[in-house]
Amino acid sequence: MVWAWLIPVLSFAAVPLIILFGKRLPAKGSPLAILAILAGFAIFWVVFAGFLSASPDTEGCEIGVGTEALTCNFKITWFEAGIPGADTSNHDRIEVAWGMTIDPLTIAMLGLATFVALMVQIYSLGYMRDHDGNFDPRLDWYYAFHALFIASMLTLVLADNFLLLYVAWELVGLCSYLLIGFWHERPEPREAAKKAFIVTRIGDVGLLVGILLLWSQVGSFSMTETFAAIENGVLSDGVITVSALLLFLGAMGKSAQFPFHVWLPDAMEGPTPVSALIHAATMVAAGVYLVARAFPLFSASDTAMLVVATIGLITALGAATIALVATDLKRILAYSTISHLGLMMLSLGAFGYTAAVFHLLAHGFAKALLFLGAGSVMHSTDELDVRQMGGLRRVMPVTAILFSIGALSLGGIPILAGFWSKDEILVAVNKELPVIFIVLTLVTALFSALYMARAMFVVFYGRFAEQFEHVHDAPKTMSITMGLLAVFAIVFGLLALDLPGPFKGIGYFIFYHEGHGLVVVAWVMGLSTLLAIAAFIFGYLAYARRSINLDGTRGTFARVLEVAENKYYVDEIYQWTVDRVVLSLSRFIAWVDRALVNDVGINGPGDITRVLGDRLKYHVTGYVYTYALAMALGLIGLAIFWWLVSR
Amino acid sequence: MVPLVAFQVLSAALFAIGLYGVMARRSAVLIVMSIELMLNAVNINLIAAASHLDGMGKWANFDGQIIAIFVITVAAAEVGLGMAIILRMYRNRSTVNVDEINLMKW
Amino acid sequence: MNSFDQSALLLTILVPLAGAGLSMFLPRNRPNDAWYFAIFVSAITLLISVALFVRYDFGAGGYQFQRIYEWLDAPLNIDLHLAMDGIAATLVLLNGIVLFGAVLISQTIKHRSRDFFVLLLALGSGVFGVFVVQDLFFLFFFYELAVLPMYLLIGVWGSSTIFDPDRQRLWGIPIPFDLGSYNRPKEYGAMKLMLVLVAGSVLIWIGILAMYVAAAQEGSPTFSMVELGVLAEQGAFSPAFQNWVFPLFMIGFGVLAGLWPFHTWSPDGHVAAPTGVSMLHAGVLMKLGAFGIIRVGMVLLPEGAEAWMPVLIVLGTVNVVYGAISAMSQRDLKYIIGYSSVSHMGYVIMGIATLHPVGLAGAVLQMFSHGIMTALMFAMVGAIYERTHIRDITVLNGLMKRMGYTSFFFAIAGLASLGLPGLSGFVAEFMVFVGVFKTYLPLAVLAVFGAALTAIYILRLLARTFFGEPDPRWEGLNDASPVEKSVGAAFVLILLFVGVWPAPLTRVINVGVDSVMKLF
Repeated sequence: MVWAWLIPVLSFAAVPLIILFGKRLPAKGSPLAILAILAGFAIFWVVFAGFLSASPDTEGCEIGVGTEALTCNFKITWFEAGIPGADTSNHDRIEVAWGMTIDPLTIAMLGLATFVALMVQIYSLGYMRDHDGNFDPRLDWYYAFHALFIASMLTLVLADNFLLLYVAWELVGLCSYLLIGFWHERPEPREAAKKAFIVTRIGDVGLLVGILLLWSQVGSFSMTETFAAIENGVLSDGVITVSALLLFLGAMGKSAQFPFHVWLPDAMEGPTPVSALIHAATMVAAGVYLVARAFPLFSASDTAMLVVATIGLITALGAATIALVATDLKRILAYSTISHLGLMMLSLGAFGYTAAVFHLLAHGFAKALLFLGAGSVMHSTDELDVRQMGGLRRVMPVTAILFSIGALSLGGIPILAGFWSKDEILVAVNKELPVIFIVLTLVTALFSALYMARAMFVVFYGRFAEQFEHVHDAPKTMSITMGLLAVFAIVFGLLALDLPGPFKGIGYFIFYHEGHGLVVVAWVMGLSTLLAIAAFIFGYLAYARRSINLDGTRGTFARVLEVAENKYYVDEIYQWTVDRVVLSLSRFIAWVDRALVNDVGINGPGDITRVLGDRLKYHVTGYVYTYALAMALGLIGLAIFWWLVSR
Repeated sequence: MVPLVAFQVLSAALFAIGLYGVMARRSAVLIVMSIELMLNAVNINLIAAASHLDGMGKWANFDGQIIAIFVITVAAAEVGLGMAIILRMYRNRSTVNVDEINLMKW
Repeated sequence: MNSFDQSALLLTILVPLAGAGLSMFLPRNRPNDAWYFAIFVSAITLLISVALFVRYDFGAGGYQFQRIYEWLDAPLNIDLHLAMDGIAATLVLLNGIVLFGAVLISQTIKHRSRDFFVLLLALGSGVFGVFVVQDLFFLFFFYELAVLPMYLLIGVWGSSTIFDPDRQRLWGIPIPFDLGSYNRPKEYGAMKLMLVLVAGSVLIWIGILAMYVAAAQEGSPTFSMVELGVLAEQGAFSPAFQNWVFPLFMIGFGVLAGLWPFHTWSPDGHVAAPTGVSMLHAGVLMKLGAFGIIRVGMVLLPEGAEAWMPVLIVLGTVNVVYGAISAMSQRDLKYIIGYSSVSHMGYVIMGIATLHPVGLAGAVLQMFSHGIMTALMFAMVGAIYERTHIRDITVLNGLMKRMGYTSFFFAIAGLASLGLPGLSGFVAEFMVFVGVFKTYLPLAVLAVFGAALTAIYILRLLARTFFGEPDPRWEGLNDASPVEKSVGAAFVLILLFVGVWPAPLTRVINVGVDSVMKLF
């Protein structure tokens, strides 16, 4: 288990190798990245097995504070600052560690990240080619960024202290920036990358301030010590609430929660495998992971929990409505991602710890599959506007089937993965929060099934779009990886059931305070099943069979649709703020700097000196007698002065 | 014995004449001569004061004489330099009238 | 003490100075000879400074490599007292590295190159001097030696900025007057830099004389910082005295550190200066100011420091935020970096003003980190300007395709500048945040926010300049020369190394900080 550090380090090691030697290696060094993550995936299973067999007696392991789950910590000192040897608790010294925590949450995230990353990196071998089968000219950079990303992501989930988490947090942000802007020759990816980095960065201000606030109270960055301090009541309620909300700001930025969600749809300008890995399965889930990781902190403050739940719900519902009317296939998926991240946040806010993490995993597999499917479509057709597509299952049967599995799973059709996790969320919301929450959550679930049905039926079923007659299905590298993800999208949910063996089921593995088996609330499960099936039937009729004509309805609700189609004008508001407020302020400050600080404050005295000099220079006549007279008068003056003083 | 004040009056008169010469004369040569006059006025003052102190029964004080010798040395150097400048001036401008040589101003 | 330890500090000063002296005898018409010789000299200084840093015993701490060369007896009591503590060790290392890099980059100087390297090496010698002397008189002497060559270096070898007013727009509307932009001949930059810095050093000189007089009144007239420090500990300087002398040092040195509102010489000076000089200037020279505040202000006048730190930290915060916001609307590459230097020096000032051990250590590390990072940025901008003769980011675009190495190095420096973890900037800024957070919480939030603003202007710069479809004008452009590549790669490695493993630096800095913090 101690060797878990190898999982990220292998990928980190691949980065400089690919950058330096990639050009000379076969396939531009991409096998290096894939091998690194493959090894990481293998080590993950070793770690997992080690963890299952570990007990609180194992070295480095104990029962975690707050979660009450088995937690193993390993660390070495990274650097120290301040007075050497001083006590850290009086804040004269900080000590930062390279440390890792291995607990069920980490295991879950490790598994998800290594597996999806492996799939996506293999898939990219097929995707990052042009139609003639040549690799992208910058494939080495692509894989270097990928390796850097996954290494950082794995560091993020392994980190045992907030600072290391922040380090990895920023690094995944950087990789997201680099990969969104991978095709930087076009202006859209360039702008989207910048937007993604800056928006998340603003959230990160909150995260860093929150980390510092916790440090200033606890005297350590270690999560274990922080949670222990909370448990022991060292921190006041106000501090807990404020720091939780600050951390949540960071989570909102990274997980694209309202009002920081604007960057994620734009991030779809990046290569599609990137969207699948970073902007669907792993990085955007980091916000949810952070809240789950800091759950002892969040759950200690009712206010924070309510804020998390409310933001989650607003995001989930708002994004779902936008996804219903979006026309770009990847953007539908992006808004769907936002919506599902909102659901996870909502679940966490409703103390549904297990449900949130479970949904994170199930959504990760399904959404990665959907994105890869969309990528396959895009790769073959160069088209992303769903209105131009139709009946593609005739030319791309494999992609169609796999995409449909993902869509059904995410839409919540029973026994597929998404069904179980969504059900658990509904149960948690129903149990903990006011009735309005469960109603709106059910609406969100319905919408989520509806837009999945819409995407699936519009693109792959219904009338065939003739211009795609000569399109080919995905190559093997792409279809096999999608197939493996599809397996997970189908069977992963079964972990919710009570299983025999050491694993016992997800409720006994990932839990907060105490494990529990599958909780079934009959009306919730029934209603959600009913809604999902109804939604898919409606979708089939409306978009594939076209026996329901929606034009009339569209006319009636034209105003509402327009608002939703314009994404509630959030982007416009931001753009206006940036253009008119931030940039104007910047111009104004720059002008103040020049005109006031420089020209008046600094040059002013200089100008005065120069003007004085100009005036006074005329006393220098150049005639000897003027100088002699001045000297004589000065002498007489001095003599009189001396005489007066000495008297 | 001639009283000290007599020397001082002589010295002051010579100095004033020299000062007048510097301010009123146009010829650079005469200005240099006037400066010489002022320097020597100072010398008279110094030596008189020194010997006066000596005559009053105090300890022998040669400070005045020493400074006077310094002044004479410096004055000699100054005249040498000054006359050289005036010569160069005459070569260049064909005049030693200082009113016509007023280039060293703003 | 072996013979190296005994003479090493003197060597750091003498080697570049002697190099400068010897360069004068090189033939005038062979520019490369001067360059080779300067490389030789600065390589030796680099080796000495690295050796000094490595040999500094951080376990023992305190001042090491002490050596006193007597110079003037009573009543002046001026000795050339050399000693180095952990803070100075870090900065000596920085100066060694940046001086070497700046000399290498100055390969392109062909006009009167001999004179250029004479001045550059003299400047380097002055900087080493300030870091290692323990005598106020010599500190001032070396301070001036470091500052004065700047005037000639910029005035003779600099470049003027001519800005096209037609391109000045707000919301798409052309603006007829000068709005945060520039039409600055190099003489303007040189003159302003010189006058402002000299005005600052006048304040420093007054402060030094006041210290001497105060010590004389205590019966032991001295310029020695060690003896003055002892006097300070005995309470020889009254709080009233400290309260009026400390601001002299604070502002006098602060001017060189780019303290708001005396910072405007810095962007103008940077822009006008030739590449190598910009590197040294932003990389090391600005640190002299911050170092002076610590070494002279805080150590000799602790009570004055305590009284004035709230003012200083507010000014530092203004530096951070104001510098970042100003940088956002600049269009000239060098102005952006110039303002970013103002912003980043703000972190140094904040870290110092916290009077908190972690914050102070962060300030010192930030000096190192910013020195390397900004030198790298200027080196790469110099390379770009050399080839395109353009620095306007709205005109440059798509350089990545033609100048891959240059762009890569610049991007890494930019990322370090916006505080990306894994690069040195983050560790330093983080330590400053920690210190500020513990002492002035609201300002810490502003400072963290300032770091986010940095992201805006750096990414804007990267997107505009390097990314995008390459302009046909860049068709025949060459990428970085081997020299530029090696400087870039070396600096990037340093940034990475410090970011990933800052312990070798922090453990040395910590002992330096320890001895300063004992006074508070």
